[in-house]
Amino acid sequence: MNSIHDLGGMHGFGPVLREKDEPVFHADWERRTFSVVNLAMGAAQIHVDEIRHAIEKMPPAEYLVSPYYEHWIYGMEALLMAKGLVTREELDRRIAEIAKREAK
Amino acid sequence: MDKPPSRTEPPSSPALRIKALESLLVEKGLVDPAAVGELIDIFEKRVGPRNGAKVVAKAWADPSYRQRLLADGSKAIAELGFTGIQGEDMVVLENTPKVHNVVVCTLCSCYPWPTMGLPPNWYKAAPYRSRIVIEPRKVLAEFGIDVAPDVEVRVWDSNAEIRYMVLPQRPAGTDGWNEEKLAALVTRDSMIGTDIPKLKA
Amino acid sequence: MPALPKAMVWDVIKTGMSARAEVKTPPRFKAGDRVVARNVNPVHHTRMPRYIRGKEGVIRSHHGGFAFADTRAHGEGDHPHHVYSVRFEARELWGAEASPRDAVYIDLWEPYIEPAK
Repeated sequence: MNSIHDLGGMHGFGPVLREKDEPVFHADWERRTFSVVNLAMGAAQIHVDEIRHAIEKMPPAEYLVSPYYEHWIYGMEALLMAKGLVTREELDRRIAEIAKREAK
Repeated sequence: MDKPPSRTEPPSSPALRIKALESLLVEKGLVDPAAVGELIDIFEKRVGPRNGAKVVAKAWADPSYRQRLLADGSKAIAELGFTGIQGEDMVVLENTPKVHNVVVCTLCSCYPWPTMGLPPNWYKAAPYRSRIVIEPRKVLAEFGIDVAPDVEVRVWDSNAEIRYMVLPQRPAGTDGWNEEKLAALVTRDSMIGTDIPKLKA
Repeated sequence: MPALPKAMVWDVIKTGMSARAEVKTPPRFKAGDRVVARNVNPVHHTRMPRYIRGKEGVIRSHHGGFAFADTRAHGEGDHPHHVYSVRFEARELWGAEASPRDAVYIDLWEPYIEPAK
């Protein structure tokens, strides 16, 4: 699909910004995302092509501003919901529970 | 099929979302929490560009290995044990005085994990992905590489399942060095093509 | 499928899952052939970026057969095809202002290309 991910040759993105001594993961959520998404793909027999396509369907503005691993979360949520392995309600309920617990 | 909620408010933080996803998947028996930690450890501590540096150093030190590496990257890299996910089908690109190779994945973030670990953010972000195919010399100059006009720049877009690694040129003044000493000269970026190994001052 | 246990993670990572697959028909192209990337704009998943569509290139090599991303992304099966490394000159892609010397190499499944006229 002709979506925002197809970036080759575009102008306007500015200089390549490099972080000095960049760690492999910047935060615990990145570590978890990398690992959980890979493991879930194996368990649900999801091909890498499927998750790439799920990410291609992100709203373009979100794709560009969100940190890289957030793309993985978006893609995996969308695929797992499409395959009926989780529901939007389950996710929202669990997010609310965790948020409440962490606010204490 | 569930649709994502309409955007009247921003989604929850990624940290909350992944914690929720992980806990649901663990409950449903799809993900083992101990496996989560193990996979993190593998890519945070055990697999990284020092692997690729060993491949490069061996190719510099051993001409017959170099030949094997350029003829069949997967097979030669497997001799050193650096096999696996996102590196099953490897092609190694030789930099010469006449040709400078540089690798990208314009469509996402494809990168050879077994030899180089996980890619840095700049490799996965819009500026590099958009610009390296259309103005490689300008981007390489930003990395401190001035490519001479008579040198050909080849940009390799890893859009399929073949993964690419650059074999940089061996710096002068390293005659007789052992592989360990040679490997220390090989930077991660030199195997992407955005750096050139040099002797430290 | 059940959860992958910790003890098996390293082996699974080291084994990987190559997308190589046997193609029953012989390759249509060989090194040196002039080809053109088809101008197609599917809504479905494809790995042919827009910047090469309609552009002419030269086959550098034949990689072998691989599962086809366009179908695998939609649960439609592997449908293996021959994949080629194809060279596109910078000037062909970006116009006369581009370097006369530089090139982009990209890997194309056979359905993405046609013989150049």
